[in-house]
Amino acid sequence: MSGNATKTLGKGCAPPGRVPEGTMRLYSMRFCPYSHRTRLVLQAKGIKCQVVNINLRSKPEWFYTKHPFGQIPVLENSKCQLIYESVIICEYLDDVYPEKKLFPCDPYERARQKMLLELFCKILCYQKTSFFGGNCISMIDYLLWPWFERLDVYGVADCVDHTPTLKLWMAAMKQDPAVCALLIDRSTFLGFLNLYFQNSPDAFDYGLTC
Amino acid sequence: MCGDRARPPRAGPLRRRAPHGERVGIADRFPGHNRPRLTPAGSEPPGPVPEGLIRIYSMRFCPFAKRTLLVLKAKGIRHEVININLKNKPEWFFTKNPLGLVPVLENSQGQLICESAITCEYLDEAYPGKKLWPDDPYKKACQKMDFELFSEVPRLLKSIFSRRDKEDCSGLKEQLCKEFSKLEEVLTKKKTTFFGGYSVSMIDYLIWPWFEWLQAMELSECADHTPKLKLWMAAMWEDPTVSALRMDVKAFQGFFALYSQNSLEAYDYGL
Repeated sequence: MSGNATKTLGKGCAPPGRVPEGTMRLYSMRFCPYSHRTRLVLQAKGIKCQVVNINLRSKPEWFYTKHPFGQIPVLENSKCQLIYESVIICEYLDDVYPEKKLFPCDPYERARQKMLLELFCKILCYQKTSFFGGNCISMIDYLLWPWFERLDVYGVADCVDHTPTLKLWMAAMKQDPAVCALLIDRSTFLGFLNLYFQNSPDAFDYGLTC
Repeated sequence: MCGDRARPPRAGPLRRRAPHGERVGIADRFPGHNRPRLTPAGSEPPGPVPEGLIRIYSMRFCPFAKRTLLVLKAKGIRHEVININLKNKPEWFFTKNPLGLVPVLENSQGQLICESAITCEYLDEAYPGKKLWPDDPYKKACQKMDFELFSEVPRLLKSIFSRRDKEDCSGLKEQLCKEFSKLEEVLTKKKTTFFGGYSVSMIDYLIWPWFEWLQAMELSECADHTPKLKLWMAAMWEDPTVSALRMDVKAFQGFFALYSQNSLEAYDYGL
């Protein structure tokens, strides 16, 4: 995956060209948890992808041809096909790149992971193994992870103190190569939040030097 | 409606001994779609699901459960139906779904699947025969993206349904018309009769149950400015699966009337 640490494209910027054969492009924003989901799946599956960051407070006009409401994430392939909604993108990637499946093959296990996603906030009773899908990391863990990574940054990591299995899960997730590769630096994220709440258009490029 | 979590009062189970001495509950005497609700008096949990069959916990007038029933029918899947009284749920039902909502699928291995869209996808993956979701990943993603455009309709219809004073509904009806316009746009872009192409597929069945309500709720005029949507509705009525599970307008209206009065008998209207 390339391009995550690049400045956002905003109003007045020229549109990027066609997506090269054999790669994907993800329209994203470094601090968005929904984009984070799709980046986790791209990373975990080793998919060649170019990331284009979008300035969400000053969107390029052409971006509305990629998504009717200018939302991220959006995936674009070399056939100019566009897919949006983070969960739909993740499922599409799992279907198109079957070599390393993240969703299980068994229909009941697939259904169970989707039910877990629905019950995002009521997950505690359902976790009986190290990861949400079993003893190895799989799709549901990546789909939930972005919010838990942010718990620490938001300063509410204590809320998992009385849920030891969840705390253990978070520790196990931090060992995963894909999660590690994309871990947000705490001070960068705090810098972003600070500017974001001041409505600054520079928020999205916080921490980038180029 | 389907989110009601009222618990049933305590009562002794109603049992009838079969000739061979095995206890049967009230549910076992009435196979099929129009099985009566399980009363608190008949709140014996049903036994395991027999091999070769799948069970759906349902309610005859629930649009979410209707999705799953449509898929079961369309794919020719052998199933049994147990209808649940949603204002007076048997205690054991919360062991099937902790949220106490229908539909729930239970198979012969005791596996439980909840959430209507998830049950539909599960059935499409687990059972052979005609695939309702397309095989092509991009086409499937497109159907799922289009399906998102329907998301406000259930909430709007429920709000209109809950209002007793019909004059209050003009704002809600206007919003409903706007939502229908989004769907009209999809059909206009696709240039096909159905949302998935030239024949009925998963997305059509997922959104259909709410359109079945329009006539019963006297809201047919909300589709007047969306001609392609109207044509789609007419085509859906012709679909063998849809017509086989068609609910009589009078039955819906009878249910609505009793439900609005908080009657426990609403769910069994017409039986």
